[in-house]
Amino acid sequence: LNALPGRAPRQRIRFLPAPGGGGAVGLVPTRVPVLADHPLVRGPRFRKLKIGAGHRLDVKASGVFVLGIGHGNKLLTDLYNCHLTKVYTVGGLFGKATDDFSDTGKLIEKTTFDHITREKLERILAVVQGANQKALLLYSNIDMKTQEAYELAVKGLIRPMGKSPPIITAVRCLQFALPEFQLEIHCLHETQQYLRKMVHEIGLELKSSAVCTQVRRIRDGVFTVDDALPRTQWNLQSIQEAIQNCQLKVETELEKTLG
Amino acid sequence: VVRRPWRRPEAAMAGPARPLLRRALAAAPPSTRQLREAEEAAPVFQYAGKAARRKDRVFVWGFSFSGALGVPSFVRPDAGWKNPRRVQTTPYRLETEGKISSAACGYGFTLLASNTRDITKVWGMGLNKDSQLGFQRSRRDQTKGYEYVLEPSPIPLPLEKPQQTRVLQVSCGRAHSLVLTDSEGVFTMGNNSYGQCGRKVVEDEIYSESHLIHQLKEFDSRVVQVVCGQDHSLFRTKKGTVYACGWGADGQTGLGHYNITSVPTKLHGDIAGVNIVQVSSCGDCCLAVSDEGDVFGWGNSEYLQLASVTESTQVNVPRHLPFKIGKIKEAACGGTGNIVLTEEGNVFVWGYGILGKGPNLIETAEPEMIPASLFGQSDFSPDTRVARVRCGLSQFAALTNKGELFVWGKNLRGCLGTGRMEDQYFPWRVTVPGEVVDVACGVDHMVSMVRSFI
Repeated sequence: LNALPGRAPRQRIRFLPAPGGGGAVGLVPTRVPVLADHPLVRGPRFRKLKIGAGHRLDVKASGVFVLGIGHGNKLLTDLYNCHLTKVYTVGGLFGKATDDFSDTGKLIEKTTFDHITREKLERILAVVQGANQKALLLYSNIDMKTQEAYELAVKGLIRPMGKSPPIITAVRCLQFALPEFQLEIHCLHETQQYLRKMVHEIGLELKSSAVCTQVRRIRDGVFTVDDALPRTQWNLQSIQEAIQNCQLKVETELEKTLG
Repeated sequence: VVRRPWRRPEAAMAGPARPLLRRALAAAPPSTRQLREAEEAAPVFQYAGKAARRKDRVFVWGFSFSGALGVPSFVRPDAGWKNPRRVQTTPYRLETEGKISSAACGYGFTLLASNTRDITKVWGMGLNKDSQLGFQRSRRDQTKGYEYVLEPSPIPLPLEKPQQTRVLQVSCGRAHSLVLTDSEGVFTMGNNSYGQCGRKVVEDEIYSESHLIHQLKEFDSRVVQVVCGQDHSLFRTKKGTVYACGWGADGQTGLGHYNITSVPTKLHGDIAGVNIVQVSSCGDCCLAVSDEGDVFGWGNSEYLQLASVTESTQVNVPRHLPFKIGKIKEAACGGTGNIVLTEEGNVFVWGYGILGKGPNLIETAEPEMIPASLFGQSDFSPDTRVARVRCGLSQFAALTNKGELFVWGKNLRGCLGTGRMEDQYFPWRVTVPGEVVDVACGVDHMVSMVRSFI
């Protein structure tokens, strides 16, 4: 950033003694750059950058991670208050139960899983979704007896706008090949460990056990995997382009939700 | 593979354990290879085999003090320090002796019926002051009967061939009940002051502790559905005709007069010659659905239930209700509101009371549709449809094809099962640990038949 051409120094009109030999002592107005703006006096323009992080992503998970730079930190706070859903792809493995619900933990128990079919899994997912829908309505702090609550419920716009325990708004099974399976989970206020625990609970409901092999965030509010920069593109040019592309999306979303 | 019975793990597993603060003098942590070998050598437990069948269960909720829920510890706690539970606001599992195929809720009592060929086919619990559960011999005094039955007790039916006949369906009204069998007609018991049991009214008859169970066989063909209104009974036969008996002051017998009928008589009016495939009634209004998707109504119309065809408040002849909402698959009649389900899976309500479209819709004479998004339909599950609709006296229940139960209406003594005591103005999911197959709604309690997930 410091290597980029900076602002041109300010110019000032000073009355300097005229060049030339002795004799006439005339002052000639000349335009001279201000010494205070000289790069050697001023120093590098950027010494520190304020970078803030959006929703947390723990060590074993991967995916979209939103960072804000400078003014973006304020936008991050606003986006947090919008309470938008995040989308994860969660990979699981039947047959094992570990203490930290992932496949790298200490083994607790091994179980059979040949009785599990995709239909049974989808039944359990429907129940999970139903229970979480109720939680969504309960924590949204809207009085259920008003017509307004009915209208919002019809449109599906009720969501908690304050603190709430983790809520899963939608789940569906993307792939199912025993013993592995993959789910797409839309959730609010969650942690990745909660998603791993959810995989473990699904295993328990199916009278077997399951561990989580992969947690990958594919969407965080308005930012999707397409907007995110992979490791190879962590340079200034791509970052600037990405910020510009997302600006419009972020503004419209903030206006729509916070008014 | 080691077989183990299924038991939920007692303690929720926390995160990885904290490392001990003492210096461990034990051996070095096991290497990866040792861990892998230990893992492969660990025993594999089997909790459910490939042929594991889903279990059928019964869940009850609502007002429990009359014994209608069938759990004696709610009324008479088994430990001194426990308090009796007047209202059960969330679904509670009821242990039954067999698979229950049909259930019905009356006013403070419940009937459960099983499709079996065993001797005991029907169980009853709750209020028995009019012998609506038959004669329940008291254990303390062999000559007297119980007035309140606190747990599901077998009802002795006078069957000719008890080991061959099957009970198809049961239905309960205010103080009488009907049991439908496949080859021996309909058995009726309980209060008969208005002829609702299908036998002649006897003046000053004492109904409590009565052994009398009447059998009805004279219909034009086999009876396939029995429905009890508050004080009247409706019978639907295989040929599509409807018979009625009982109180008729609101025209709910549909026979063209407002008197009592004590013998099941065939209905005419707009349903003469029409093949009726479903009849429903809970209070004083009745609805019938034909095989072509038309709906007919008769009875009480004080709450605008039949206001689309007539201004009068009592209709004593079945009238066709000309609604342009599509072919109707199922109808359910409540005390003051009605609900129908169309072939496309849309739900329409009309009448008076909490109809399910927010607190602003209190009464309407024309059917209003409840949006499918309230029943769980969304972009994620676009094929969620309502499969069945049921009506209590002032509540509605809808079952989806995914096995979810939605209820709304007046929450009388916790009958909605939502866990709260407030009324519900739009469809709300009831959390039942299983897939709900059928639900029976009464005045202040509900019974559901549920299959477990696995």
